[in-house]
Amino acid sequence: MKNKDKRPFSKDILIIHDIDAECNRLITNIREGVLHKLNRLGGVIGISGGIDSSVSMALAAKALGTENVLGIMLPEQDSSSESALFAQKLADRFDVKAITENITEALEGLGCYQRRDEAVRTVFPEYDPLHYKMKIGIRSSGLYTNLPPLFSVTIVDSKGKEQSKHVPAPELRQIEAASNFKQRCRMSMLYYHAERLHYAVIGTPNKHEVEQGFFVKHGDGGADVMPIAHLYKTQVYQLAHYLGIPEEIIDRTPTSDTYSAEQTQEEFFFQLPFQQMDLLWYAFKNKYDPQEVASVMERTADEINKVFAGFERKIKTTEYLRMTPLTN
Amino acid sequence: MTKDISVIKETIKEHILQATFADKDKIQNDSLIFKEGYFDSMGFVVLITFLEESFGITTTDEDLIEENFESIDAITSFIIRKTDNQ
Repeated sequence: MKNKDKRPFSKDILIIHDIDAECNRLITNIREGVLHKLNRLGGVIGISGGIDSSVSMALAAKALGTENVLGIMLPEQDSSSESALFAQKLADRFDVKAITENITEALEGLGCYQRRDEAVRTVFPEYDPLHYKMKIGIRSSGLYTNLPPLFSVTIVDSKGKEQSKHVPAPELRQIEAASNFKQRCRMSMLYYHAERLHYAVIGTPNKHEVEQGFFVKHGDGGADVMPIAHLYKTQVYQLAHYLGIPEEIIDRTPTSDTYSAEQTQEEFFFQLPFQQMDLLWYAFKNKYDPQEVASVMERTADEINKVFAGFERKIKTTEYLRMTPLTN
Repeated sequence: MTKDISVIKETIKEHILQATFADKDKIQNDSLIFKEGYFDSMGFVVLITFLEESFGITTTDEDLIEENFESIDAITSFIIRKTDNQ
């Protein structure tokens, strides 16, 4: 299992030592890709005020020129108001033009909220979106088990009191499918502006999101260039510091910003702080000996084996998201 | 609701076979169905819903441990314990 050329596993193994060189490489790749492979004049990018879209936008601005990048804020009724504030701050910092396209009415037209709320009410008959917020969370004993995460729906009343219940499969699928209108609507709007300007769409997912399937097919997974899709989250933060992303954005806890109630990405999907997730995913992808990983991570080899088995399951069950259409 | 152990096991096995498209010979009563990766998150939700509807039980957060779900034998014991306590 252990490769002689492999560096010993350590908590520092993901640090990018020559950050200047890595940034220059990414900038060159974006420029080459957009201008010479895709034959487009610039890039549009959805900016949420989160770390991933901020780093992607900063790289795109350096690669294509600030005048050839359009940042688009795409809020809807459940979006945090902080998102717009931070996104604008980012655009100002990099001197990139930013516009707002509110997609609430489009989502209403598609029945996004009505379809989602109908499914939530089968679990919580008292749920009324005027008086409650809602979110989907994970109900299980974490990553160190062979059980996959079990999703539950949580409603939060105006006093902040939470109630959670597990959701039967048909209702859970309906909530997810309805909520996915949001990412797909954003993708449509980004392509509208990209085609109008003869630009490319710059996607913002990081390595975990792509490889673990934390994206919506033909939604935030729909883009022409994904400049940070090879980077672990801690590496995205390293770039953020180097590129001068506003501190408020760097300090902000990553959220899904999809449901009306506040929800972190850790709570919704990853189940671990990203520093730990990065190291475990790296160890898994690079086939490190679970015993070696266990001693660094201060866990048992059995726990690490369970985490790795869960990762394998995740790759397998999300493969559909990364597949291109089947053709004959 | 029946407490006939063999009927419970057969009911669970039928569900697993239908839900996972697994080879019938590979799913034994002591097969570690989660460790072997037969179920993803949605499959687990479907299994829980199926158990609740078929056996009239309600699962709580405390019930969601591997020991209760790792095999058909484990699930059967779990159902019997739950029905005895309800």
